[in-house]
Amino acid sequence: MTDSIRVSRRFFLKAGSAAAVGLAMGGFRLEAYAEDDADAVFAGWVEIHPDNSVHILFPSTEMGQGSETGLPLILADELDADWERVSIHQLNEDDRRFGNPAFGRVLYTAGSSAVYGYFEVLRQAGAHLRDMMRQRVADEWGVDLDTLATSNNNVTHAASGRRISYGEVVALPGFSQTRLNQPAELKTHEQFTLIGKPVPRRDIPNKSTGKAKFAIDVRVPDMLYATVIRAPVEGESVASLNDKAARATKDVVDVITLPDGVAVIAKTMHASFAGRSKLKVSWTETSPFRNHSSDKTLEAYKRVAEGEQPGEAWRSSGDVNAALETADQIIDETYTSDYAYHAQIEPMAAVARVDPDGKGAEIWVGSQTQSWTMRTATQVLQTTPDRIKLNMMTMGGGFGRRTELMQNYVRDALLCSKASKQAVKVVWTRTDDIKFGAFRPAAAQRMRAGLDSNGRLVGFHHRVATPSVIQYFNPVRWRQVAPNDIVSMRGAENKFYNIDDFLAEHVITERHARILPWRGIGAAYTSFAAEAFIDEVAARAGVDPFAFRKSIMTDNPRGVALLDKVQTMSAAVPLTEGRARGLAFAGYGDTQAAGVAEISVDRKSGEIRVHHVWVAVDAGLIVSPDNAHNQIEGGVLWGVSSALYERVTITNGQVDQQNFFDYVLLRNNRAPAIDIHISKNNERPTQVGEAGNPMVAPAVANAFFALTGRRIRHLPFTPDRVLKVLA
Amino acid sequence: MISFTLNGTRVETDADPDTLLLIYLREEAGLTGTKYGCGVAMCGACMIHMEDNPMFSCQITLAGVAGLNIKTIEGLSEDGNHPLQKAWVAEQVPQCGYCQSGQIMRAAALLDTNPTPSESEIREWMSTNLCRCSTYNRIVKAVQRASKEISS
Repeated sequence: MTDSIRVSRRFFLKAGSAAAVGLAMGGFRLEAYAEDDADAVFAGWVEIHPDNSVHILFPSTEMGQGSETGLPLILADELDADWERVSIHQLNEDDRRFGNPAFGRVLYTAGSSAVYGYFEVLRQAGAHLRDMMRQRVADEWGVDLDTLATSNNNVTHAASGRRISYGEVVALPGFSQTRLNQPAELKTHEQFTLIGKPVPRRDIPNKSTGKAKFAIDVRVPDMLYATVIRAPVEGESVASLNDKAARATKDVVDVITLPDGVAVIAKTMHASFAGRSKLKVSWTETSPFRNHSSDKTLEAYKRVAEGEQPGEAWRSSGDVNAALETADQIIDETYTSDYAYHAQIEPMAAVARVDPDGKGAEIWVGSQTQSWTMRTATQVLQTTPDRIKLNMMTMGGGFGRRTELMQNYVRDALLCSKASKQAVKVVWTRTDDIKFGAFRPAAAQRMRAGLDSNGRLVGFHHRVATPSVIQYFNPVRWRQVAPNDIVSMRGAENKFYNIDDFLAEHVITERHARILPWRGIGAAYTSFAAEAFIDEVAARAGVDPFAFRKSIMTDNPRGVALLDKVQTMSAAVPLTEGRARGLAFAGYGDTQAAGVAEISVDRKSGEIRVHHVWVAVDAGLIVSPDNAHNQIEGGVLWGVSSALYERVTITNGQVDQQNFFDYVLLRNNRAPAIDIHISKNNERPTQVGEAGNPMVAPAVANAFFALTGRRIRHLPFTPDRVLKVLA
Repeated sequence: MISFTLNGTRVETDADPDTLLLIYLREEAGLTGTKYGCGVAMCGACMIHMEDNPMFSCQITLAGVAGLNIKTIEGLSEDGNHPLQKAWVAEQVPQCGYCQSGQIMRAAALLDTNPTPSESEIREWMSTNLCRCSTYNRIVKAVQRASKEISS
């Protein structure tokens, strides 16, 4: 964004010729909202310039989810803007006026929250400016407001055939003083011209030519390069360093010690790598994390899940223990899941140029939060936000990896730049990225349910033993929400069923690894346990998986419709011999999703193959249908990848995996056919980006049972585990 | 001094001959469409053409390209109008987009030698390239769309 169109309060005060919705334009204040100052909500979202261009702020950050197009489109629709005249402007500062309403106004792009968080405010801002323009034209032409319509950047008066462009309206004298006599009216859903329509994503052309710029691509004048060798175990630091050979390497400029590593700063990236390979570092080797290995950790979590230690209630209704007392039979199983890695293909990277006084900086980075990137920078440089200029770059995948409160890749770029007094690009290697990654936590889940003598469900107890993710990655947030950890527990609320006596509880276990939100957060494992277990309960009751789920979905017609839909979709395709299908019902947050997976198992190698997945999703009103389809398809394949392959192991505090040869991801030749149905309705928009993956692992596990008669209860379903279960 | 042909233009460089082609392209030549993803030929984000063959540029040094023709995503077409690039837009393939230069370069090498691949040929061929957003099925559709355009 150029300085002349920078969307900020400062800009509005300077730019007399551009109209903006908001307080800053000459003290504009909407009477109807004045008492609670709610018109502040509109400030800064959009500008119209006399050249008839429309400029809309993008408050989130783009990591592939498509909201860089989807959010401005919502505002543009209510504004009746000509989409071809709309330009989109990245918010590059921690300006909480534009904070995500779904995250307490922190600028935070996570939880599939952009559309549902911003939907109302964007509509109101667009409608408000649209009606300001109608009102100003009504005054100018001396006609009734009701006789003026808007479309494609024009205000029109049907009776006289007159038309005036938005650019001309905002140039009318005193436009910014225009007041509305009543709050702007939002469109009906039938009046939408962009929302729900096939509007292409703005970012795709540049992502098809190599022109899209990611943080790792940034080059600024006189830039140096740094790579960092890091302590192999969390909590350790440099004990001794011999950097003589590294410093003697051609084009190496400096070697500096960081809190948890050593950076080699060089004139070229090649020299930085060469120098790094010559460092001789020993580490303190005193960290308690050296006592932890992932197999023992999971065993410990399992003992906790199966033990008596009380947990924090996540969702509770009725009296589950009393209900289970009355049961004719109890089903009681424990599920486990390993650590998993984000594996975003762009490794962590950042560029920083620290000012000569060491108290200011310009930073180029892909992160899921302007707020915490700014906080990182001000903490590292012990400075104030006005001294920091952020450039939020499009990300080569996020998936939760770039959400941290303290972003150590940004920290390293700042410290290297400060030391070298030049701009520095810090790039992690893939091996750095996995060894110093932060993972979906390992978890053990004990499930108990009762059946009465009629085979009806009485009582459902879901006990999750896993660390608190929030407590680790965002202690500030933890102080506000403790002991409720949505990142660790999402999905366990199981709110789509109507079970009278229900308890989901979180037994917060000791943390033995770095952990972070990971696509689907808790639902990536809680839905696995819950839905695989419901399948077990249904089988014990002797009831078909569709019918059993419907029997406990007594007050959720939208969910029942999805079950019916996915049953119809999958039934239309004949089952191939030697395969079987499994059902799961999960979704994410308020989005419901039903999925059927068709699999086969190679009984010699233990390989499970997923051949076909049918899904039906209800996410309310869909803003961008084609993108929603792409996101759900990607989510389903993420689910397949994590169900079959993805596993981080840790030995004595060190991550064992090194690269994509030992952290295995789904590839094109194992991608199943996917059929997706997305409900069309006008309900409130809900989450899309993470709705696809939680249902997949349980659907595969349930298909495995249908095929083999055996249950597989440890995620992922690697060949060795499959063979063990089949033995 | 090493010289080779880069996107149709002869270039000469005095960079260290051991420099990886990937790093040269990105940090010296400024052609950042070619991406670093793994450094071990496991993800394909760095895919380029060397003498019309798809290669992992993270596995080649400058010394290894002396006298050869190298093509990157920036040299695939003028204005992004290669049938695959048009198909990538038409099918709305990319999400984060980071891997897509490599995907397109990989697919272009397929269509150069086999303009009408079957679905399974496409999937096997494209399996050298990871896409963490998992746009695999749209990649297949886009290759099929481009295949139709090329062969019609």
